[in-house]
Amino acid sequence: MSSKDTPYAVLAEFANPADLMDAASEVNKAGYKHFDTYSPFPIHGMDDAMGLKPSKLGWIVLAHGIAGLLGGVALQVWSMDIAYPLHISGKPYLNFPAFVPVAFAVVILLASFGAFMGMFFLNRLPRLHQPIFNSDRIAKATDDGFFICIEATDPAFSEQQTSEFLKSIGATYIETIPE
Amino acid sequence: MSMDHHHTALTDRLTFPEENKISTGFFAAGFVGIALSLIGLFVNTEQFFYSYLTSFTFIASLFLGALFFVMLQHITRSSWSVVLRRIPETISLQLVWLGVVFIPILFGMEFLYEWTRPERIATDELTQHKQPFLNIPFFVIRNVIYFAVWAFLGYRLYKNSVAMDRSASEKLDKQQRVISAPGILVFSFTVAFASFDWLMSMDSHWFSTMFGVYYFSMSFQTILAVVIVMVIYLLRKGLLVNTINSAHIHDLGALLFGFTVFYAYIAFSQFMLIYYANIPEETLWYYYRFEGSWIVLAYLFLIGRFVLPFVLLLGKKAKSNHKILLGVSLWIILLQFLEIFWIVMPILHKGAISIHWLDLTLLLSFSGISAGLFFRQFARHSMVPKNDPLLSDSLNKH
Repeated sequence: MSSKDTPYAVLAEFANPADLMDAASEVNKAGYKHFDTYSPFPIHGMDDAMGLKPSKLGWIVLAHGIAGLLGGVALQVWSMDIAYPLHISGKPYLNFPAFVPVAFAVVILLASFGAFMGMFFLNRLPRLHQPIFNSDRIAKATDDGFFICIEATDPAFSEQQTSEFLKSIGATYIETIPE
Repeated sequence: MSMDHHHTALTDRLTFPEENKISTGFFAAGFVGIALSLIGLFVNTEQFFYSYLTSFTFIASLFLGALFFVMLQHITRSSWSVVLRRIPETISLQLVWLGVVFIPILFGMEFLYEWTRPERIATDELTQHKQPFLNIPFFVIRNVIYFAVWAFLGYRLYKNSVAMDRSASEKLDKQQRVISAPGILVFSFTVAFASFDWLMSMDSHWFSTMFGVYYFSMSFQTILAVVIVMVIYLLRKGLLVNTINSAHIHDLGALLFGFTVFYAYIAFSQFMLIYYANIPEETLWYYYRFEGSWIVLAYLFLIGRFVLPFVLLLGKKAKSNHKILLGVSLWIILLQFLEIFWIVMPILHKGAISIHWLDLTLLLSFSGISAGLFFRQFARHSMVPKNDPLLSDSLNKH
């Protein structure tokens, strides 16, 4: 139901990674929550500057890993001891040392799935439309541009004030991106 | 972090304050240990040599682990570890005298190594077959080579590092890498064969191709624990507080976590392959080490040396939590001693754990003298390689 006049976000370009990092820190201090930074390469320390909380991905991976461990052990206990007990070179049916490699492999498999799919989930991917590409300028983020984008969904957002604020902290270029 | 937070100069006191006489305390403890152990030598000679070998291999594993740590930092040109590299460097320098304290073992070989006993050689066909390798002259030659190589590596890398404290030298910095690259290759073979000679050949019928890696994996996990204990000790004394930051601690914690898994992987693989194949000749080694109350220690290593540190260090915050790291590290160092004890002692005391007072006095001797020499040396030079070309990267680590 968005009208053409509703902006999606304000995009600001900065001269270099250090300026971008300082600006991200200022944006965070000013109380903005719905913003992101874009650069051609990862900038070490940016997470702290933006005030990002640690990712939840670790917990997703842990849950998958535990599920893999329990599942891997249960599968072998059921198949080797209950469903189809086989006598193998005098060893007990419940042969836990022999179960370890399979259980380990299932842990790794499920934890990898958790990491891979959890990353897609947390990043809300795949995404068919990302309004930031309404700006032509943003393509520079893959080459030599350093950007901050504050989204209109942020409670502190106001097109004019946010633009002025970004200019005041050293933005070299400001653009309002339409929805 | 903004640019103005960057710092390129060391602001801390760089010399270890030796006025508190910590090395004197360790030396005193070491000499008490030596005096008591000498009494034990005459009271129970056989026990003395078993206890001696246990403590020797324990201390050797620390020095060797430290040497590997230093060489690894050089060949990877690691910047993160520069601020704390002087600690493992000083530990690996101790390799210069390790060969000297190996000499007593040569006098106890008839107790320790069944393959040296003439009656065994005469009656046991397999021992006869192994004679070309397992004979005393070749054993001595091999060990001379090991100790010479390690002493050279430990000494050279340390000397170059402290020489750069006086004036930065690109040539010496390059030499560290030139030494370390072949050094790590030679290290892997010498450590593997040393562990075959010192520990594996005690059961002369038994062999495990993984044993060298097993000894190495134990050693490297332990030296990471030792470095963590030392770093936390320095920070608690108010030393290097502006030099070593939480990112360095976190990396040490992450390495300790990683090599805890590596240790478990290697130790378990060695066990499982033998367990699964179930060939009497191979299982016998584990048979003695699982017999009676010895099995308790085997479970202790599984739970205490893998599961516990794994769970405690799994979280991101735990890896830089000083209390957790210190606790886990001290515990791992203790278990390293116990695991070597468990490898050596079941040969002498079959079927039940038996701790002799000589085990403790010899541990006190070796650790007292080693720690005393370490702290005395540590106080002689800067605690940080202050002219290292990668120092500012290391200081700015976050």
